[in-house]
Amino acid sequence: MNVVIMGCGRVGAAVAGRLGAEGHRVTILDTDAYAFHRLPSNFGGRGLVGSGTDNTMLEAAGIREADAFIALATGDNRNILAAQKAKHVYGVAIAVSRVKDPLRSELFGRLGIRTFSPTRIGADLAHDVLFSGE
Amino acid sequence: MYIIVVGGGVVGHGIALELQALAGHEVTIVEADGRRAAQLREEIGEMVVHGDGTEVAFLEAVGTDRCDLFIAVTADDGANLVACQVAKHGFNVRRTLARVNDPRNEDLFRKLGVDSTISAARAVMAQIEATLPEHTVIPLMYLEGSDLRVVDLRLQEGAPAAGKPIKDLQLPAQTLISLVIDGNGPRVPGGDTVLHVGDEVIAVIPADAEEQMRELITGLPLGASSSVPDGR
Repeated sequence: MNVVIMGCGRVGAAVAGRLGAEGHRVTILDTDAYAFHRLPSNFGGRGLVGSGTDNTMLEAAGIREADAFIALATGDNRNILAAQKAKHVYGVAIAVSRVKDPLRSELFGRLGIRTFSPTRIGADLAHDVLFSGE
Repeated sequence: MYIIVVGGGVVGHGIALELQALAGHEVTIVEADGRRAAQLREEIGEMVVHGDGTEVAFLEAVGTDRCDLFIAVTADDGANLVACQVAKHGFNVRRTLARVNDPRNEDLFRKLGVDSTISAARAVMAQIEATLPEHTVIPLMYLEGSDLRVVDLRLQEGAPAAGKPIKDLQLPAQTLISLVIDGNGPRVPGGDTVLHVGDEVIAVIPADAEEQMRELITGLPLGASSSVPDGR
């Protein structure tokens, strides 16, 4: 698959590395060039400096040929904007967005993009780990 | 009417003052920055609330479910789009309006259910284009719930539409020439009104008729004319 990832934080870099190792063609965007140091040293994909909400940048990243887009930047709203743009402007088949707010995650998950809420997952894990010793 | 305005920047502040003057409406201004919210509250009063206008729980707390008009005018397109979508799909608000900072986002906003969009860049461009003699088809307004738009046209030298009465023109379907402006000022045309080179015309046209109208008033085939000279 051709995959475009927005946001090269810890999660973005880890997913990019993993998809690359699985043989997918990955392009990852971040507004800060320094972020790319998080990528694994054997990462074979492309890193581009720029915003994933910007049409020009998305096009430079090959969004028109992408099979999937994953939004993993800091702000929920930017992620949602970018994922919906990938889906509805560029026709990307699979658009995923991280949405920290669980309610917003649920709502936009019903509106055509795939979402997940790390807040909800983290709370569930914290709860389960608390009782896991019993 | 209950109106919620998300964003207390220059635009939101201006809207709040105008709405205050229109007595009889209940207005809530939502500002995410605490200091800015406190400052606005001091100036405008109780109607200013500090909070995140894109957050479902917060919007519920300010009564978005009984809101008649929801307006998002922050400087962040992501926030404006998400706020309007949450209002529309989470709370069934009938009318939503968003400021679009990047004009390229306008179509996406409308496709995703934002009822009206306002783009400062596009509004200024329309004014600039209207003063250029080469201007051809300028969108003035998009009509909600349809693909119709109100456009401003100017008849060019060699236009197939020039010198003919309106009733003899091969107008695209669903098209209405509603106003003709010439040296004598604006008038509502009839079927016998003859258009001349240099006349300005205000028309209602469907989105897909734009190129056909452009050809009628310029005489140039599709793609041969540009509404803004590129300066090269």
